[in-house]
Formats: sequence, C-alpha cells, structure tokens
Amino acid sequence: MQGRLSVWLVKYGIIHRSLGFDYQGIETLQIKPEDWHSIAVILYVYGYNYLRSQCAYDVAPGGLLASVYHLTRIEYGVDQPEEVCIKVFASRRNPKIPSVFWVWKSVDFQERESYDMLGISYHNHPRLKRILMPESWIGWPLRKDYIAPNFYEIQDAH
Amino acid sequence: MAATSINMASTGFSKLGWSNGQKHLKKRSLFSISAQQVEVQEEPREVDSMNQKQQAEATTPLRPVEPQLNVKSKNMGREYGGQWLSSTTRHVRIYAAYIDPETCEFDQTQMDKLTLILDPTDEFVWTDETCNKVYSYFQELVDHYEGAPLTEYTLRLIGSDIEHYIRNMLYKGVIQYNMDAKVLNFSMGKPRVGFNYDGQLQDVQ
Repeated sequence: MQGRLSVWLVKYGIIHRSLGFDYQGIETLQIKPEDWHSIAVILYVYGYNYLRSQCAYDVAPGGLLASVYHLTRIEYGVDQPEEVCIKVFASRRNPKIPSVFWVWKSVDFQERESYDMLGISYHNHPRLKRILMPESWIGWPLRKDYIAPNFYEIQDAH
Repeated sequence: MAATSINMASTGFSKLGWSNGQKHLKKRSLFSISAQQVEVQEEPREVDSMNQKQQAEATTPLRPVEPQLNVKSKNMGREYGGQWLSSTTRHVRIYAAYIDPETCEFDQTQMDKLTLILDPTDEFVWTDETCNKVYSYFQELVDHYEGAPLTEYTLRLIGSDIEHYIRNMLYKGVIQYNMDAKVLNFSMGKPRVGFNYDGQLQDVQ
C-alpha cells in the first residue's frame, strides 16, 4: 500500500522505501542517507515548508541509528495539511547523515540534540556541538550500548 | 585538630603543612598535586613513585606540591572566561589550579597541579590519618588517569571515585558524621546506631 507522496516520488524516479503508515495514518518513508539532502530539497519544492519535528533514536542494540523528520505542508485555507514522516537510517559505526539545516532552519537545535544524544554527525550543519551535555562529555547517552559513568552526584545529589 | 585541610599533590609531591592558626582553614583540607600530562616536572621522582606503587599496593605515597610564597590569584577574571576547571561535589572539590592553603589565593595559571579541598562543609570528623588515606587515594587516581585529557569529565571521574571511597570509609566506620556540622542531613546515608546485641534484642518494656 503506497501513499500519495510515495506514488509521486515513484513517478519522478526518486529512490525511497515505503514503511507504511503510523497510527494517525501519516505516510512514513525511508530514504537513504546519501539521497537525503537532494530529496529534502525536492520535498521543500513540492511544498513541505514546515519541519514539525526532528528526532533520533537507536533502533536496536548493535543496530542502526535513525533520524526522523516530520514534515507538514502549510497552506492558506487548509484544515487538514499534508504530512509525511521521513526516516533516515545510518550505521552505528560511522553515522553520517546530511543536515537539512539549509532547507529547514528550525532543525538547528534538534539536530544538535540528536548529535549530542546519539552521536549522529550531520553533514553541513553550521555548529554541530553538544547542546545538553557538557562539551567535554564522552559517549552518546541515548545509545543502547551506553554505560553511564558512576558519577557521584547523579544518584547522590544532596 | 580538626581536619579541614587543603591538599595539593604534584608529580613530585611534598605535603603542605596544615595551617593551625587560620580560623577559616581550621577544618579544611587542601591538597594539590600536579597533573602529570600538562607539564613534565620532576620526572625521575615520578618514576620512583611508580615503582613504589608496585611494591606497596596499599597506599600511594603522597607527593604534595611545594608550598609556594606570594601566590596571587591569576586568570580569574572575566577575560579568561570567569570560570575554572573543576569537579565539585559536596565532599570533594578538585580544581586544576594551585590554591594557597593560607591565603586561599587561587592561581589558575598553574594548571599542572590539581588541588583537592576535602569536605569543606565539614560533614565528617576527619583525622590526619583518614585525611591521608583520601589524599593517597587521590594520588593513586591521578596516577591512574595520567595521560587522560585534562577536562571536566576526567576530573569528575576522579572526584566521583573519591566520593565513593569516602562513603566506603563511612560505611566501614573509619570516619563518622560530625554532629556539629552546620548542615546535618546525613548525605551519605543515615547513621547506624551500634547496639550491643547479645544475640537477643532487648524487650521494649
């Protein structure tokens, strides 16, 4: 079962994989990291002018890391805007995904957080550095194989 | 003597004497050591101490920094960021700087030294012996982390290990809570009352 956008992308020969629909019936597509930047531009031109959220997660222990983008098409006089969810998977060893900062500027802090928590390095992001953890922190806290250091104050704050 | 003291250790350590007279230092220990990776200072003594460490695993010999004269606070201004490299928890404060034990001048240009301020809020009763245990553990940790980058993360690893060590000492009964402490919240667990059990609990009546 293909969604509207998937059909449209197939028509123009753009490589993607349909992951079905989420619980709200929003179409979910998987896109390869190397294609992601050009497809982001295509989607922007198509009309997805609003990045509603970006997040990332660790798919499985030892598995891939995923970066998720929720896009919305905001227009006047529309009460049911088109939405789509894009997932980009990257290998745990060398997670590199092109940044879409230059397409949707609002992804700035979100990608920094994804970098901070999962260590996905976003290409072409203007200032990719840790945002929540101290800059000298070692390790990626939200990865499934992360072992928290035995710091005193975390469990014994007075 | 109450056991607040400021401790400094260096690659080659010579321990600073506690200042008995100073009021504000009466209960503070300050111990500074030099972090080895920054400056190669007194290299041969360090090798010696490594050998000694292999011989006697139990305690690492202290190698405190020579006390310095006329220390002035340096690099504390806003133009240097107005902050310092440190790991501060309640009982352990580690600064990458030399702190004068008498005047508390804070010389941040000497980043090759680490200074440990032990229990500044005076929650525990310290003696020289128990202080030295902590200091030698500090020395051991600093030797262990030799070559690691001098960042807050490394300092926190060291400081946390010392805190766990202090708690361990408390659980073993080596140190006790200071009941005259200003804040008496038993931050490392409620004190246990030592009953003399003769196999039986006494009846309530």
